[in-house]
Amino acid sequence: MWSMYNAVQDWMETTWVHHVVLDYAWSWPTLETLHFVGLSGLIGALIVMDLRLIGFQNVIPLRAVHALMPVAIVSFAINLITGLGFVIAVPRMYTNNWSFWAKMICVALAGVNFLIYYLSVEPRLMRASPSAPTPLSAKAIGVSSLVLWFSVLSFGRLLPYLGVGGG
Amino acid sequence: MAEWVRSSTVGYPLMITLHAIGMGTMVGLALILDARLLGRFTDIQYSALHRFLGVAWIGFGINFLSGSCLFTTGSATKYLWNAEKGDWNWIFMTKMVLVVLGAISAAILQNIVGRESAGWGPGAAPAKVQYIAILSIIFWTMAIVTGRLTAYI
Repeated sequence: MWSMYNAVQDWMETTWVHHVVLDYAWSWPTLETLHFVGLSGLIGALIVMDLRLIGFQNVIPLRAVHALMPVAIVSFAINLITGLGFVIAVPRMYTNNWSFWAKMICVALAGVNFLIYYLSVEPRLMRASPSAPTPLSAKAIGVSSLVLWFSVLSFGRLLPYLGVGGG
Repeated sequence: MAEWVRSSTVGYPLMITLHAIGMGTMVGLALILDARLLGRFTDIQYSALHRFLGVAWIGFGINFLSGSCLFTTGSATKYLWNAEKGDWNWIFMTKMVLVVLGAISAAILQNIVGRESAGWGPGAAPAKVQYIAILSIIFWTMAIVTGRLTAYI
């Protein structure tokens, strides 16, 4: 396992991504800027959707905030792609940093949270009357989503400060 | 305060994390409002979206406070006149102008939506309001770009 772990990272450093990102001074700031714009789109869409799930602004039909889901997904995709750009460019800067793993764990948990919502909670919500108070399961998912994604943001921002010799 | 933020192991990372949270909140919600004004997500009533703007201003407030703390850590040496480079910090000053313009456009849109959206019908806002929404998107996106570039230039 360990040698595969190292082999993948060694391979990453041979790819065109690694070279493009490191050889051109504008690559990194461009990736970062896109990553920040993506996170803003994601957080903005999530704030509206999750606060609605928690019960804030019940007057908005759930179907309506659901329309923001593509914003969240596209924003996440932008961040996944730019994030891969960072990791493939300098894999060990991330894999040696516990803050990176904490961030990835939170992303994974947020994904699980989303799956639970999508597969189990959302169908029930869509069948319920629009003005019915949101069930506890929906509130729990809304809270978890906000907590997890703000944790992702925090661990990401703290990457230079936690982990290897930082802080 | 500046000393604490600059020198403590907790202060600076805490401030930049709060700054990222505030940014995501303010810009994210502003972009969604702008998208709604341009005719997307028409199932969301303007009156309801209006209430989320309060959350956006909380994000802005967090950034005003964290930004002020961060500014004090470098106001003398890099954020205005960059002593090391012997030049003004144009990127940072541009960012501040864009943030102010973004905040002004958000306040104007909040005001217009509050007073007039009931008479608009379900789709996009009137053309003049759409122009402000487009400007808002430009201001906030460029604020993020210049904010990031402050670290590099």
